[in-house]
Amino acid sequence: MENIKKLILNTVKDAVIEEKQKLTVTVDYTKLHLLAKTLRDNAELPFDTLVFLTGMDRGEELGVNYLLCSSKDLSKEIVLKTGTTDRENPLLYSVTDLFETANYNEREVFALFGIRFINNPDMRKFFLNGDWNGFPFRKDYDANPELNPLNLESKDIIDIAPRIMEIDGKLVESTVNIFEEDDYIINIGPQHPSTHGVMHFRTSLDGEIVKKIDVHSGYIHRGIEKLSETLTYPQILHFTDRLDYLSANINRHGLCMAVEKAAEIEVPERAQYIRTIMDELNRMDSHLLAWACQTNDLGATTAFIYGMREREIILDIFEKTCGGRLIINQNVVGGVMFDIYDDFQKDVKSFIIYMCDKLKEYDRFFSHNVIALGRMIGIGNLSKEDAINYAVTGPAGRGSGWSCDIRKHIPYALYDKVEFNEVIRTEGDSYARYLNRLDEIEQSLHIIEQLIDNIPEGDICAKTKAIIRLPEGEFYSRVEACRGEFGVFIESRGDKFPYRLKFRSPSMALVSAMPLICKNEKISDFIGIGGSMDYVIPDIDR
Amino acid sequence: MILNYSQPLEVTNLTSWLDAALRSSLPEFWVLLIEFVLVGVAFLAAYAVIALILIYAERKITAFFQARFGPNRVGKWGLLQSVADMVKILLKEIVKINRSDRFLFFAAPFFMIVASMATFGAIAFGKGLHAIDFNIGVLYVTAVSSLGIIGVLLAGWSSNNKYSMIGAMRSGAQFVSYELSAGFALMTIVVLAGTMQFSTMIEGQRYCWNLFNGHISSLIAFIIYLISGHAETNRGPFDLPEAESELTAGYHTEYSGLQFGFYYLAEYLNMFIIASIATAVFLGGYMPIQVKGWVAFNGIMEYIPSYIWFFGKTAVLIFLSLWVRWSFPRLRIDQLLNLEWKYLLPINLVNIVLMVILVLSGLTLTDLLPGWF
Amino acid sequence: MSSVSKYFSGLFTGIKSLLFGMSVTWKELWTKKVTRQYPENRDTLVISDRWRSELTMPHDENNEHACTACGICEMNCPNGTIKVISQMIETEDGKKKKILDKYQWDLGMCTFCNLCVLTCPSDAIKFENTFENAVFNREKLKQQLNHEGSKLRDKKKEPLAPKAE
Ligand code: SF4
Ligand code: SF4
Repeated sequence: MENIKKLILNTVKDAVIEEKQKLTVTVDYTKLHLLAKTLRDNAELPFDTLVFLTGMDRGEELGVNYLLCSSKDLSKEIVLKTGTTDRENPLLYSVTDLFETANYNEREVFALFGIRFINNPDMRKFFLNGDWNGFPFRKDYDANPELNPLNLESKDIIDIAPRIMEIDGKLVESTVNIFEEDDYIINIGPQHPSTHGVMHFRTSLDGEIVKKIDVHSGYIHRGIEKLSETLTYPQILHFTDRLDYLSANINRHGLCMAVEKAAEIEVPERAQYIRTIMDELNRMDSHLLAWACQTNDLGATTAFIYGMREREIILDIFEKTCGGRLIINQNVVGGVMFDIYDDFQKDVKSFIIYMCDKLKEYDRFFSHNVIALGRMIGIGNLSKEDAINYAVTGPAGRGSGWSCDIRKHIPYALYDKVEFNEVIRTEGDSYARYLNRLDEIEQSLHIIEQLIDNIPEGDICAKTKAIIRLPEGEFYSRVEACRGEFGVFIESRGDKFPYRLKFRSPSMALVSAMPLICKNEKISDFIGIGGSMDYVIPDIDR
Repeated sequence: MILNYSQPLEVTNLTSWLDAALRSSLPEFWVLLIEFVLVGVAFLAAYAVIALILIYAERKITAFFQARFGPNRVGKWGLLQSVADMVKILLKEIVKINRSDRFLFFAAPFFMIVASMATFGAIAFGKGLHAIDFNIGVLYVTAVSSLGIIGVLLAGWSSNNKYSMIGAMRSGAQFVSYELSAGFALMTIVVLAGTMQFSTMIEGQRYCWNLFNGHISSLIAFIIYLISGHAETNRGPFDLPEAESELTAGYHTEYSGLQFGFYYLAEYLNMFIIASIATAVFLGGYMPIQVKGWVAFNGIMEYIPSYIWFFGKTAVLIFLSLWVRWSFPRLRIDQLLNLEWKYLLPINLVNIVLMVILVLSGLTLTDLLPGWF
Repeated sequence: MSSVSKYFSGLFTGIKSLLFGMSVTWKELWTKKVTRQYPENRDTLVISDRWRSELTMPHDENNEHACTACGICEMNCPNGTIKVISQMIETEDGKKKKILDKYQWDLGMCTFCNLCVLTCPSDAIKFENTFENAVFNREKLKQQLNHEGSKLRDKKKEPLAPKAE
């Protein structure tokens, strides 16, 4: 990393480098693009993955934090910070041309903080309507309901995007039409059986072929990050289950880890075992559902029901362990809330045997079916470069040949103690993603097998103070959720509330790649590809 | 040739008695009129009842394939479920769609129902239970059943809904292609049977079903007919026109109440029609299983009424169609057309030639083993 | 030639895979059905003890509960679901004391995060697994957990309780 520091100083002389939890570099906003480009393109350790793009209201200044990491080694991370003191018309430079995934994130920052990004081709608000008054995540936001009254009239969608471009050193504001004049546009969503939630794809078609997709999101934006700023850390925990409700336990694990790292709380060994086992059960639960939904999207209803049937057994185990099936509330800061019940081991072991059998059945039933193969092989191709560029992680990223499993790269809990394979395929099509999920179920079974008999005795939760305060600072944690990397960023000012909390949602990256990989596919494959990407909408909208 | 049925349960007994009774007291014209009306009513009733039974059966069988119980709340084992559904559909409001083409929108379901009704009339349900027995029965059935597509296309066009439109267009492409295969498959058997009239065709299968008579060639024709027939009924894996995970409900997205009910009924009835034509053409229709020379066995078999044979064989084919439907994912439009134009059609054409050769050179089973069949 | 053999091998492997699929559904046709027949199975239905569906405040046979009206649960609830309404009374020896008047909990606003139960210093509340909570009116979801006329259990007396019987 020393070389990187040198490189940074060589590129931007007045960069401020600090050693915090991560290497943090603060630069002037005019230099940020240059620095990001240099970091991305350096041959030694390319920082080519944008993990977080966090809008910040630092009081005086509005700004953005970027967490970059290297696609070769996800544990090599660097934080870039920049900002502007102009609160009236804040302008920063976009990094969309370097990292495609920045596009939606910058639009999100625009909606929530009002920062506009120069050179971003599409500066519409993400999540919020274009006519929303005020920027909710700013500290001085006026939440008076009269400013944004409840609207019961339907509004037409305007397919015109404003943007601000720098041409020859001058800033030019212009607009651009999303669709062409006489495109045949059909709305897939917000109410559609196969968008897996309230998602809205404006799709222009050429016969059966998808020409362009425009993503509208935010139908279930609940402002969880904003709400969290007024809640204590233990209280925030219950929100994480409601982000990606299918990897509820893993999300919560991520937030707990961030708090534990910051407050230096040691998690007892037994709790770590329980956490890891529950995480893997959760992963199987999610992958089973993903498998079921994907088959259903391809029209095989029967397979859907089989998947749900197997998943039910995991949910029963969850219910018995922590009194919840979907929203399971298991992790707390310092450990877990509930100890395992008496027959836990027995139930899990019998599930492992049962599931191995069922995996074979799935294989026979669907994985080699000619129709299914025709609808998955070579469909929705996502190259490795694009996966990295769009920061598509999880089974989808690994289906494109990108080794991006946080459990391997930055092991947490017990993942460095157990043996498992990172499932990687290089085809990058729907079928690779499909098979990856089934293989990951197998790996999860394997992980649980190694742990289930060795759960040590002991406490399930460390003693924590009644009120948890985090020291001043910025804290990140990254975990491998079912759909990819889930991240938590906490900026604390020494309070019992976070000053800013941000969740990195894997699903947002998945959806941002949809317009790319669905282009020129058939409309029915668009649905199938959606199933293979397996995004969860509340995770995007937060 | 026709043996005298000594069957006490045959419906023919009833109909001929009725006919005789009417004729004894009324002039010819009135007799015919009353009989026409009676037959019409009977057919309408049968149409509805068969559809209800099929809906129930499909839901139950599907459930069993999917490790569920299926309907089991209304009546014993949920037997009244489809009746309850029918009542619900009858009571539902027919929603008027803004900016739709009212007349066509209204007319479309009738095309659908009339087409399937007209085909339904040509089916031989049992010995003597045959409303119209054309000498070109097979041709009639193929011609009339393809009218239904007009209903689908009109529905999609007039609904002013993009999903419906895409569904209807898919349906058009699908129907046109698969009509071809279904027709050719039937033609193969016409070559074998030497007739287009259903009753003669069925009688000709007394000892040897057409399916066995033409062995390889018949078998291929049978499979192709089942596939393309299945595709014609728009049921999974060929349910692209209404692919619910893509197009919500396809061409009938905007229909509600009774109008939707028409589509729903027609879908099930078409399934039945396809199965019953396959029964008549390939499996000997209402003929009981007969083996040459086994007099006692044949007697017992004949004791079972002919309509039971017919419905039994049809039920087996319907079960097969359900089994297929609930096992496979949906095809994509290009896969669908591929299957038809790259596989089914060429195989079919070769098959017809093969059948002609078999028949001309006396290689059918009846020719080869006359003592047995 | 190879394209011809590809054509036929594609045809046959395709058919084989379809038959495999059908064999699976055929097998499943005869397997045990998994649907749970609620409400017929109410007597045999097992809901985990840990299942959280209704917050309760256990009262003993003397109509006494353990809530000291400290308000910690109210403070810890992320959703403002709990309202602890307390009263100041004067005890016999003239000291002022805070006692519980009403303990209100709104099921419709609860996210079942269990924080109230975890943080209560007196273990006065707990979750029950009575899951049939459907009502016709939102007002009915608002419940008062302390019984009419109940009072705080005297901690010192507790060991004596068995003797009194
Ligand atoms: S469970 Fe959570 S939300 Fe519900 S009352 Fe208790 S603290 Fe509040
Ligand atoms: S329930 Fe517990 S925490 Fe809540 S007021 Fe009573 S004693 Fe305090």
